[in-house]
Amino acid sequence: MPSLRVRRGAVALLALAVVYVIAAQVGRGRLPDRIWMGAHYVENVQLLPTWHSLAEEGAFLLESGILLDSVLVSSGRVFIGLLLGSLAGIVLGLLTGWGARVESLADPWVTLFRFTPALALLPLYVVWFGYGEASKVLLIATNVAVITLLGAHHGVHAVPRVYLDAAASLGASRWLRFRKIVLPASFPSIFNSVRIAAGLAWVTIVVAELIDARMPSLGYLLALSGAYPRVPTMLIGIATVGALVLVFDLLALLLHARATRWMGRAG
Amino acid sequence: MTANASPPLLEALDVSYTYSGLTPTQALEDLSLEVKENEFLAVLGPVGCGKTTLLRIFAGFLRPTKGSVRCAGSSIDGPGWQRGYVLQEQAIFPWMTVRENLEFGLLAKGVAPAARRAVSDQFLGLIGLSEFEAAFPKELSTGMSKMVEVARVLATDPALLLLDEPFGALDAQTRARMQDALAGLWERRRKTVLFVTHDVEEALYLADRIVVLSPRPGKVKAHFAVDLPRPRSVETRFSSQFLAVKRKVWEATGAGP
Repeated sequence: MPSLRVRRGAVALLALAVVYVIAAQVGRGRLPDRIWMGAHYVENVQLLPTWHSLAEEGAFLLESGILLDSVLVSSGRVFIGLLLGSLAGIVLGLLTGWGARVESLADPWVTLFRFTPALALLPLYVVWFGYGEASKVLLIATNVAVITLLGAHHGVHAVPRVYLDAAASLGASRWLRFRKIVLPASFPSIFNSVRIAAGLAWVTIVVAELIDARMPSLGYLLALSGAYPRVPTMLIGIATVGALVLVFDLLALLLHARATRWMGRAG
Repeated sequence: MTANASPPLLEALDVSYTYSGLTPTQALEDLSLEVKENEFLAVLGPVGCGKTTLLRIFAGFLRPTKGSVRCAGSSIDGPGWQRGYVLQEQAIFPWMTVRENLEFGLLAKGVAPAARRAVSDQFLGLIGLSEFEAAFPKELSTGMSKMVEVARVLATDPALLLLDEPFGALDAQTRARMQDALAGLWERRRKTVLFVTHDVEEALYLADRIVVLSPRPGKVKAHFAVDLPRPRSVETRFSSQFLAVKRKVWEATGAGP
């Protein structure tokens, strides 16, 4: 059924675009073009940019290379953060889930982090790791690690007893049971959490990039377009982030499907 | 210990087991039984009479609250491949192919890949699943999955086989076919088997001897020798001898007239 889902998604996107274009045309000349920015008025603001000015702005962003560079830089940060965070989170989650005693120690920590928005750590990370790459990547990694830790932890706990018993009575050592039973059996939960984390990583990076004023980055592109303000740039930036979230989600979904192809229904 | 010529391979002596909890439940009470080498013993009893508890004690997952269990003369303290255990629930590993499932016990024993493959080839042939070697269990029927589980246990060449209602979840026809497959497998590679079931006919068809348990707390209520010729077939199921023993066993279970 994926083709049907893809078609449905495409139709929904197209409908949204059509509604927007109509709204922009209707609003042209009718919406206010002068807005109060807190300290002063800004003239010639397009609240709903027309299709034409969006295309113009898009062409400029593409030709100048700003958009592509920003996409590459931001995607790179998300990817590395996702990779590091997933590795750390999955390893820790497996450990806390499998080692009965570690679990009771780790649980309050997990709960503490789970409800602490990772963005609250931003000022601290900037102080600790500076304004460069490290603080942003580590912020994403932290956010991702908390989620994948929970996914792996719960995955291990949800492994049906029967498989562990069957393996034990076939003579499997604790290590073999971990590798061949616990690990694959918790894959669905683990890769599900990676998928959720991939989306959240984008939330984190955009906000993190708003803080440090450095191009190229999608977050700063959005921050700049807000400062002018240039609504066409904002809309293109938002759509780009949305598209990237979608791409990362698809990649995570493929990974999930690959790791759980033995299941009756994947995905 | 009696000075018998062939000592029992598996024995339970005055075994009691109580599940602790808010309302402690006694599952077994002073149960004694023995299984001789190469014997196929069926333990027959109503649902909830402690059959599974007894099997889990033999498999090494539970320790009797009272009494002792021994296998080949030494007491049982934990699970091990020497006592091959087929659980009541579906326990085929869904993330492994049929072949990987069959080879798992050998992998645990540290057998080399080539030797593992030779054994799994042999069992794939025995259970007629050669063309499913690379398939995941989701492609198998419940009955075939169970046969893979039985073969997976046999592949490690255990001293005895503990089977917990392996065909409980199957319809009557599939069940009969699986019983034939199991009987065939057993006749070719004779093993000591302890088979737990609540189905009188199944017990009669497969076993050399039947032990009937009482409702909870389970204790031995009656013994029957099943002297039906082997190999057994559909004819066996309808022979007068079969029906005569069936009547006796049926009455002993308390379900009779």
